[in-house]
Amino acid sequence: METITKKNTIKDKLLSEFELSKNSLFGNIELREHAAKSFSEQGIPNRKHEEYKYVNIDLLLKGDFSLTANKTLTSAQTAPAYFLEDAYNAVIVNGIFDTALSKLNDVPKDLHICSLADAVKNYPAVFENYYSKTLDVTADPFTALNTAMAKNGLFIHAAKNSIIEKPIHIIHISSSEENTIIHPRNLIVIEENAQIKIVESYQTIDASAKTFNNALTEMIIDENASLDHYKIQDENDWGFLVNTTHAVQKKQSRFSTHTFILSGSFVRNNLNIALDGEYTESHLNGLYLTNGNQVVDNHTLVDHRKPNCNSNELYKGIIDGKSTAIFNGKIYVRKDAQKTNAFQSNKNILLSDDGTINTKPQLEIYADDVKCSHGTSTGKLDEDKIFYLRARGLSETSAKKLLMHAFASQVVDTIKIDTLREYVEDKISKRFE
Amino acid sequence: MANEILSEKINEEYKYGFVTNIEADNAPKGLNEDIIRFISKKKNEPEWMLEYRLKAFRYWITLEEPHWAHVSYQKPDFHDIIYYSAPKPKVSLNSLDEVDPELLKTFEKLGISIEEQKRLSGVESRIAVDIVMDSVSVKTTFKETLSEKGIIFCSFGEAVQEHPELVKKYMNSVVPYTDNFYAALNSAVFTDGSFCYIPKGVRCPMELSTYFRINSAGTGQFERTLLIADEDSYVSYLEGCTAPMRDENQLHAAVVELVAHKNAEIKYSTVQNWYPGNKEGIGGIFNFVTKRGICLEDNSKISWTQVETGSAVTWKYPSVILKGDNSVGEFYSVAVTNNYQQADTGTKMMHLGKNTRSTIISKGISAGFSNNSYRGLVRIAKGAKNARNFSQCDSLLMGDKCGAHTFPYIEIKDKTAVVEHEATTSKIGEDQLFYCKSRGIDNEKAIGLIVNGYCKEVLNKLPMEFAVEAQKLLAVSLEGSVG
Repeated sequence: METITKKNTIKDKLLSEFELSKNSLFGNIELREHAAKSFSEQGIPNRKHEEYKYVNIDLLLKGDFSLTANKTLTSAQTAPAYFLEDAYNAVIVNGIFDTALSKLNDVPKDLHICSLADAVKNYPAVFENYYSKTLDVTADPFTALNTAMAKNGLFIHAAKNSIIEKPIHIIHISSSEENTIIHPRNLIVIEENAQIKIVESYQTIDASAKTFNNALTEMIIDENASLDHYKIQDENDWGFLVNTTHAVQKKQSRFSTHTFILSGSFVRNNLNIALDGEYTESHLNGLYLTNGNQVVDNHTLVDHRKPNCNSNELYKGIIDGKSTAIFNGKIYVRKDAQKTNAFQSNKNILLSDDGTINTKPQLEIYADDVKCSHGTSTGKLDEDKIFYLRARGLSETSAKKLLMHAFASQVVDTIKIDTLREYVEDKISKRFE
Repeated sequence: MANEILSEKINEEYKYGFVTNIEADNAPKGLNEDIIRFISKKKNEPEWMLEYRLKAFRYWITLEEPHWAHVSYQKPDFHDIIYYSAPKPKVSLNSLDEVDPELLKTFEKLGISIEEQKRLSGVESRIAVDIVMDSVSVKTTFKETLSEKGIIFCSFGEAVQEHPELVKKYMNSVVPYTDNFYAALNSAVFTDGSFCYIPKGVRCPMELSTYFRINSAGTGQFERTLLIADEDSYVSYLEGCTAPMRDENQLHAAVVELVAHKNAEIKYSTVQNWYPGNKEGIGGIFNFVTKRGICLEDNSKISWTQVETGSAVTWKYPSVILKGDNSVGEFYSVAVTNNYQQADTGTKMMHLGKNTRSTIISKGISAGFSNNSYRGLVRIAKGAKNARNFSQCDSLLMGDKCGAHTFPYIEIKDKTAVVEHEATTSKIGEDQLFYCKSRGIDNEKAIGLIVNGYCKEVLNKLPMEFAVEAQKLLAVSLEGSVG
């Protein structure tokens, strides 16, 4: 009985906060109310929820949480954050876009970066066309909650035929002094024939309490457009992250997304890709290195809606300490999506006796002329390989390190931005020390 | 051409859809404690059995029907089912001559001629059959031959009377009544089933077999099988199922428990061909079965082989708990769905002991408007050192209106475990067909050849006597059904 009361407390608190603040938030209030209603019906998912079977969100949200993060950071404080060189760096502090901290000099004129509230005013057509239009806000409780409560996140719009050479780096900073729940929200629209690279990083700065980050990014990739997307999740122990990415691909578009989970107490990624046009191509890569008491949960959904599309997924993980890693990949092929090629692979190395891996690769297929496969394997580091290296004079530790590097490099090598790849490689090397 | 054959298959009548005119002794419809007392009294059961049933029933009423499986159907009305239907006259039979000739005809139609087996007894045919019709065991053959070796093979009801200590010890030990909704229901209302005990060091000289048939209208079949292989023993057990054609959906909710002691081996094979409903998806059996085996002690082995072609809705996960060190679990399955059939089937392998191994080979074939899902769990517990699992789940789609799905769950808590899972979904390759055709094999034969090859890994695991029937079933269900 007690747990039920507690669960209601946090849910009720969120809903009453919504009632208080809803008139001051950007966008369509009816949409927000619709989403809030859905969240109120679904509640915070517990372990009986099939999609949240292996994580105990209830437990994470135990205790008191503040719903407004008023903290402002100075550029001196954000200095330790990782700013990507030769890129447009946009800083979001606790879910709110901060122009002063961002470095958005010489953004080309066919690339528009601003806050969502500004987008409502300056780019009403694009905003109206796409915001919450391509996703079902009631499909997941966290999506509903985010849609209801989202504050002023980031809007990125690449105009038709634009080719943006420099990557755009979105830096999500969590920083709080008391337990806080925040709801960052971004909308990324890439018009026809445009090409763009986006890096999202999640970091914690100057925090002394939990931040539960319920982030959602919507991406629309129009005909023949291309998006190269990277996610670096590197929050510290105060970071609890639910990160939903919802991408829709139109005809002949290309999308590759790369997720690197390096730290953070709890990370849950919901990566949903809808291949909503013929001849589209999607690549999903992921690497998770877990340790301590971390819980890392990757859910991906590749929804093949139209014929002649290709998708390819590779997720790898190294699990150490008492950590838990979860992989749940779903390939969904609809009735009309003939000639689909869909592949999925999940590989794990378990290093410790107390680590846990739960993996659930799924295929749901309703078309017959398809080639779909998935594979998953879990094991330890190969004794023979260690022996081979030791016979050549390497110590056991450096042999193991070398093998783990080799294992991770298959994913790391897919990073096309040199400075970012070096950063990730460096982080990984430090982890293996 | 292929389409013709497909439509031929689709239009084909269910071969086993006859009703036998045997007077049956039915309980009134519905389910309450009185019905359970009625069943228990009919079966002349001791007090502890009744207590067990009532305990299960009281638990069952607190449960809700599960809905997580990838199937959709109209929920059966549990108060509109006859929970006890025994073919009359029900007397203890000593020889086949005493069996109702109508009943014998039924079995002849089913293709199991007991008389023939009897004639051949002691020569080549090596199958002992226990026949369960509408939940009541009608006849067990070869009982005498088996008892010479100390093997107990009888109906569950008889076992309760004659070997209560064994039943008490093992029943509920693998599938407790609290396990799930249908296991609880079965524990409350099961009417009969088979019981088998293989004593220490005995290698069962013949295949043991149970034939299940639902005959009466409006009845559910709730049988229970308990099979114990004591130290150093071996047994191969077969199970077959058929039912008449009816417009209504009938419920079959069985429980099978296997126990393998030290160095024992159990091989359990099923050919399931319950009535699948007509081509519009009306009628057919709901097959909600809980099957589980436990490798209780070291070096034991349990192997499940199943060929699933029937039932409107199948919901079945034969599992193995690998408790003893060095124990082995195997699961080989072919599941075929056509028309509006739905199958959600797979296995669970729970690795608890050290050096345990499991293999899962699952082949799904969907045609028509059907949906076929594999759902499996491989769990490596902490401390299950050097556990090894290999799973392969392939799906073949025939036609663009059916679905094939794979839902594997893999949970690993030990670093020495090596677990691999592979799944593919595809249709028969044009190049494979072309290869065969260019060598003068016509389309239908080529498809038959490819499908047979596709299932071979599983069919090879069936005992000879069953392989023939399984191949016939597959041939009927599959050949040429690719457009």
